[in-house]
Amino acid sequence: MAVGLVFLATLPFHANPYLLFVGNLAMLYIVLTVGLNLLIGYTGMLAFQNAALFGVGAYGCAVLRVTLGLPYWLSLPAGGLIAMIVGVLVALPALRLTGLYLALATVAFAQFTLWVFLHWYSVTGGPAGIQMHPVDFGVLASTAEYGLYYLTMAIMLAVVALTWNLVRSRIGRAFVAIRESEVAAEALAIDLTRYKTIAYAISALYAGVAGGLFAAMLGIVVPESYDLFQVIAQFAMVVVGGIGSVWGAVIGAVGLIWVQEALRAFKEFQEIAFGGMILLTVLFLRGGAMSLIKRHIKGWDEPLRRIPRKR
Amino acid sequence: MSKLVTRNLSMTFGGLVALDGVDLDVPEGEIRGVIGPNGAGKTTLLNAITGVNQPTDGEVLLDGEVISGLKASRIAARGLARTFQTSQLFAGMTVLENVMTGLHARMGTSPLAAAFGLPSVWREEEDATEKAMSALDFVGMQQFADRDGGELSFGQQRVVEIARALVREPRVLLLDEPAVGLSMTRVSELDALLRRIREERGVTIVMIEHVIRLVMGVCDRITVLSSGRKIAEGTADEVTQNPEVIEAYLGRELDA
Ligand SMILES: Nc1ncnc2c1ncn2[C@@H]1O[C@H](COP(=O)(O)OP(=O)(O)OP(=O)(O)O)[C@@H](O)[C@H]1O
Ligand SMILES: [Mg+2]
Repeated sequence: MAVGLVFLATLPFHANPYLLFVGNLAMLYIVLTVGLNLLIGYTGMLAFQNAALFGVGAYGCAVLRVTLGLPYWLSLPAGGLIAMIVGVLVALPALRLTGLYLALATVAFAQFTLWVFLHWYSVTGGPAGIQMHPVDFGVLASTAEYGLYYLTMAIMLAVVALTWNLVRSRIGRAFVAIRESEVAAEALAIDLTRYKTIAYAISALYAGVAGGLFAAMLGIVVPESYDLFQVIAQFAMVVVGGIGSVWGAVIGAVGLIWVQEALRAFKEFQEIAFGGMILLTVLFLRGGAMSLIKRHIKGWDEPLRRIPRKR
Repeated sequence: MSKLVTRNLSMTFGGLVALDGVDLDVPEGEIRGVIGPNGAGKTTLLNAITGVNQPTDGEVLLDGEVISGLKASRIAARGLARTFQTSQLFAGMTVLENVMTGLHARMGTSPLAAAFGLPSVWREEEDATEKAMSALDFVGMQQFADRDGGELSFGQQRVVEIARALVREPRVLLLDEPAVGLSMTRVSELDALLRRIREERGVTIVMIEHVIRLVMGVCDRITVLSSGRKIAEGTADEVTQNPEVIEAYLGRELDA
């Protein structure tokens, strides 16, 4: 892990611009996937609105920055907050849905959002999207790419650490209790509405912030980034990495970004590869990559409590 | 003093009357048995009391306060704990974490405090670990603390479920067929455990049970349901001699 961190931190000094781009992309997908895993993996909500909320964060950030002239350090968190608010608004009707109906309703929401991105010309610029000038990091970084890379890295590390803490508390246990049995959770005085809303809100916030980072990285926000493929890509990362595991989300994001980049020249194969990997994982490796690690690294434990037990 | 009271508690599913005006009055410290043939409405009674299903008529009082109409998590927070007919131990969590989840409402950590791992969170987690271990100790399951909830045998899961309910320090404990699938020696252990729960923890118990030996041995009084109605109530001797009860069980031995 320490080696990985050093590698990440020094990447800008020994990598070409393309590799830097891929590293940056992988890190912001870690933010996305860790959030989505809280909702799908820990709380057990089969919900797919995060691809759209990723877009809401990107557009929110771009509109505030380009149209209203806010600095990036304000428009980035604001985009995250907007996504969180939209996420909670989606959660309100979705709270009563589970399983297939929840999946259908949230995919429909993602499609609707895409339609809004495409057609609300005055705000989103329609199919052409919104161009964003590079972020100026001033004295902090020599180029926008370097600055953005380290900003993404800082946010990614913070998100992983905060989430890792969160799941090892009564909050994480409440999430898993809801996933395993809603009636039993309620019988333990766990308020379903409250904890589901918390899970929706956090995953929406992460998706929105990742969207703002994505917008700055590409320098443009266009609707097709947030289409059905985005839904499948994020879902695949959660499933292939390992449902209900923070580290699984990290592995899933990095692994699938690697696959996506390896297949960059053939977009249709990306979709087939992601779909196929979901299928193979569901059929042969239920716990995803994480279950292999649990099996082969002795003493690996991902507890839902803070205090380690002495054996 | 009455601990748990139901008045005219009724529950219909579509056209089916599953519970038909049941009056229950369980005094503090009692172990009450609820028996009845399959489909009599025993589980429905528990679900109506705990708010899993909102009763279509009647009310439930805990220590004289109306709790019916509240949502299930609020009712649980008032001090009702229960186990389920089919084990609802959480898989993907260790036994210890399962019991710690029982402490949810007794803990105060907010999502932000948890995420930042504040010192108060550490202290609370430490305290919860200790309480959960002592609850496991109480039911004799501490050596399984680190096993996954889904790995235990059916009988072991039931006992851990009792620990998870007990750790909440409930006023009333409702058990839905806790002896199902237990061997005879295990049933005797359960008998002793129930008595200790009452004596040492002062918890009032309502237990649905088909294992007549357990019901007759440990319950102070027994309520008999049939087709959603209460047809008899009294001590073991009283109900077993009641002609209506014998009729309801037609062909089933009561003194097995
Ligand atoms: N949620 C529900 N929806 C529709 N009908 C239900 C529901 N719950 C219970 N019933 C019906 O109510 C009746 C009573 O069921 P209940 O589960 O309370 O019986 P029981 O006494 O617990 O039986 P058993 O000994 O088999 O557990 C049954 O006819 C059952 O089919
Ligand atoms: Mg039943």
